[in-house]
Amino acid sequence: MTRKLIKRAALALGLGAASLTLSACDGVTVGVGYGYDPFYDSMLWNDYYHDVDVDIDIDRPDRPRPPDGRPPARPVPPIAKPPNRPPVSRPPNRPRPPVARPPAARPPIHRPAGRR
Amino acid sequence: MRIQLASALAVCASLLLSGGTASADTPVTYLDNGRALFGFSVPDFWALRTGGPREIEDTELGDARAVARVMGMRPVTDDNVWMGFVSPAGVASIEGGLRYLEDIDRFLVKDPTVSETTTTRIGGLPARVIRGTGSREGRGVNFTVSVIDLPKGRVAIAVAILRDGADPAYVDDLNAVFASFRSLQ
Repeated sequence: MTRKLIKRAALALGLGAASLTLSACDGVTVGVGYGYDPFYDSMLWNDYYHDVDVDIDIDRPDRPRPPDGRPPARPVPPIAKPPNRPPVSRPPNRPRPPVARPPAARPPIHRPAGRR
Repeated sequence: MRIQLASALAVCASLLLSGGTASADTPVTYLDNGRALFGFSVPDFWALRTGGPREIEDTELGDARAVARVMGMRPVTDDNVWMGFVSPAGVASIEGGLRYLEDIDRFLVKDPTVSETTTTRIGGLPARVIRGTGSREGRGVNFTVSVIDLPKGRVAIAVAILRDGADPAYVDDLNAVFASFRSLQ
């Protein structure tokens, strides 16, 4: 009885481990990870509007130094800003299906191939 | 039956032959404040990152700078290829675009070496194309930067990057994007 239990437990654990291992190989859904996108980030960052390294751009006048100390606190807007989160695009309402709805097209269940 | 099989073979063969060319069939429009500036097509099986206008703050100086919308795209399964579009505000001519690029290139690639600068037309508009090499994170990259003169005082800047070891077949995809470029003003 105990042997049987151990056997079953081992089988169950083995199957579980195997399924986890197999699912780890499923790399297709990983696809595009935008956590690190060096070229994109670099294209955002430019000194055209804002010279950090003045040595490179000799032709342009020096930027005035920002006033010392911390900038004054921003005024609180009368209406609290909503939390900064990306806009959620709501899917449009689905149109009601027409009354006389055509039957759903289903692919045929496996059919033997015709003889050639 | 025999005739059908032959015609099917012919169709298959033509599909195989035509399958070699890259297709870019998803049109995208770049808008700035609701104004459509230009459009291009995203190649099949590429992922587009749309971006949007935003402000980035310099941590040292603490003042924000506005950044125009950057659209970036890359093949879904390969990060050795990258292409991006931006239309910076306040840049009105090709010369201005080149100056803008001087301030962006050292962030994009290290030690850029320009190999070729050509004046051409992209989508029927005058453009300057700069090709060269550089490095990024210890790997060599090939870059092609285009400044396209849009009407009404705007430019479009397109950056295409191929890291060393990228599949050269992606060049077709990149060229398909350039071929699909159109001004929308």
